[in-house]
Amino acid sequence: MLVGVSGLGRRTFVNTLCEREVIPPPVAEDPEMAHMVEPMKFNKYETQMIEDGTNIFLTTVDTPGYGDGIDNYSCFTQLQEYIESQFDEVLLEESRIRRNSKYKDNRVHVLLYFLTPTGHGLRELDIEAIKRLGHFVNIILLIGRADTFTTDEIALFKLQVMKDVMTYELPIYNFGWDDESDPETLEENQEIQAIVPFSIVGCDEVVDGDYGSIRVRRYPWGTVEIDNDDMSDFGLLRYILLNSHISDFIDYTNNVLYEEYRTQKLNENKDDESEEEKEEDDEE
Amino acid sequence: MAFEDNNEGIESYVNKNVSQTGIGIANLPNQLHKIVTKKGTDFSIILVGESGTGKTTFVNTLFTTELITPLDDSTRRKKQCDKTVDINIHKAELEEKNFNVKLNVIDTPGFGDYVDNNDCWHPIVDFIENQYEQYLRQEQQPVRKGLVDMRVHACLYFIRPNGHSLKPLDVRAMKAIGAICNLIPVISKADSMSPTSLKLFKKRILDTINAQNIRIYTPPVESEDESVTSRNRDIVSAMPFAVIGSSTEVVAPDGRVVKGRKYPWGIAEVENDEHCDFKKLRSLLIRSHMLDLINSTEESHYDAYRTAQMKVRKFGEAKPKATDNKVFKDEEEALRKRFTEKVRLEENRFRQWESKLIAERDRLNKDLEAEHNLVKQLEAEIEAVQTSSPGNRFNRK
Repeated sequence: MLVGVSGLGRRTFVNTLCEREVIPPPVAEDPEMAHMVEPMKFNKYETQMIEDGTNIFLTTVDTPGYGDGIDNYSCFTQLQEYIESQFDEVLLEESRIRRNSKYKDNRVHVLLYFLTPTGHGLRELDIEAIKRLGHFVNIILLIGRADTFTTDEIALFKLQVMKDVMTYELPIYNFGWDDESDPETLEENQEIQAIVPFSIVGCDEVVDGDYGSIRVRRYPWGTVEIDNDDMSDFGLLRYILLNSHISDFIDYTNNVLYEEYRTQKLNENKDDESEEEKEEDDEE
Repeated sequence: MAFEDNNEGIESYVNKNVSQTGIGIANLPNQLHKIVTKKGTDFSIILVGESGTGKTTFVNTLFTTELITPLDDSTRRKKQCDKTVDINIHKAELEEKNFNVKLNVIDTPGFGDYVDNNDCWHPIVDFIENQYEQYLRQEQQPVRKGLVDMRVHACLYFIRPNGHSLKPLDVRAMKAIGAICNLIPVISKADSMSPTSLKLFKKRILDTINAQNIRIYTPPVESEDESVTSRNRDIVSAMPFAVIGSSTEVVAPDGRVVKGRKYPWGIAEVENDEHCDFKKLRSLLIRSHMLDLINSTEESHYDAYRTAQMKVRKFGEAKPKATDNKVFKDEEEALRKRFTEKVRLEENRFRQWESKLIAERDRLNKDLEAEHNLVKQLEAEIEAVQTSSPGNRFNRK
């Protein structure tokens, strides 16, 4: 799932990730309607990729309209409802007597949250969103349009963001959650954790470089290479998302987040039932 | 016909006088120059835009001195919980070649930064109108020396480059501000957009501005000097300006020392016209059109305000204040609730007290009645005893 205010490169990111146009360009807005607030939409796109020999059916949910209005409180509730409804479907399916063998699991495994490159840490919108959604889905923080920053500024911004995460105790995905894994993996995870949030630059065009075609973004003063690790964390993030940690994300969602939700939901139902019994007793 | 002859005669007479003798009227601009140089001028600009759009950096770059110091982390975090838009005024006195400018830069931290940004442009609109109000009042004073003129001459509205178009918040705020002040839209952090997307973005913004009837500042283009006209045309065609801000100097690959931002892939120069429109905006604000900004503020915006106010108010009457600051409203609501709550509690207490007293009174009344009945009974008994023993005169005494 991709969440972030418009203009941070969500669409470009997915298209670059899948190396083809998954999300079409947005319809140009009518200037006459520019003062009207557009409600948030949930657009689903499905694509298939082969990564390192594995077939991946990637479902991307884009959320245009997030944070673009004047009063954005309803955005959080809508996101939460969407994610919870996927959990509810699975809950319902599990409690059926005859289960549908072809049931498709629509739970959201990763939420990529695009931060605005303000240079001043997290905004109120980001803090509130992560606080509410971190208990239902794995949140990974990204810096959209990271080519706004120089190298020093990126380091400073990342530091500010992580400081904010600690101050407000925000529940983002912790790469080192599995203590039982071997020390090598643990060390790797800790290194990855130190790079969060990932700085992302989206690709406009492909040009011919020294070693074949490279994906770039061209400016009058220079060219940004997308896959160059010195210039952006895109390559690293792609590897983590589709290769090394894909099973971790799915496991964590199914075994930890979903189980917590299930327990909470069933407890609520139990409380409701016991309350109903009490009422009946009182009436008698 | 004789009449016409007379007219022609006077015309030629007037022309001849000036061109031949030269009485020195032509020296008036020089005199004015001296007066203006000595007096100096006030120049106020207000910066509006979300935090992180580069307002502080831009101002420091424009005036090549650190006018506004950036906030540190802890202050910023406190501000985030504040949920209000502040108005911070930074004053400076600039001097160049003996000409003084009293500069006021007004910053608006908190604008558009929160989840709920409803009416976040109201404090700004109020501030601008208040300056007009202050000036109006001062003009009406008996002693008009030492006028403090804080009227805002230009508003720089910083638009975040989101690649698509103006946000609804931008549209509403710009509409409100552009109606009372010279509004100059600025695309900040222009170094995150490629030239083609920047062109498209500018066009979309202009389309939206026209469709929504937002009033922005357009400098006068025509002038006597051909080079000035063409320069003005350049400036107007580049609006809205895309700027990069940087107060640090870096070394370009070809050895020049320039103000710019150093990326791993190149250096974006602030004063390079191919990289951004900073020079054009600086020219607009200071070099070529500062006077026009000041004049248009005084002549059209302030005048419009003055006319509107004078139509509804008498001379010297104070302006009716509209207190619609949301935070204050909330506090007021909370106070009012507490007050009514307290009053209700007290009334309850009094009512209980009253009912207790009434109960007490009834009880006492009952006792009294009981006693009264007892007394009556005894009296009746006495009567009975007396009437039953008539010989007993002893009791009657």
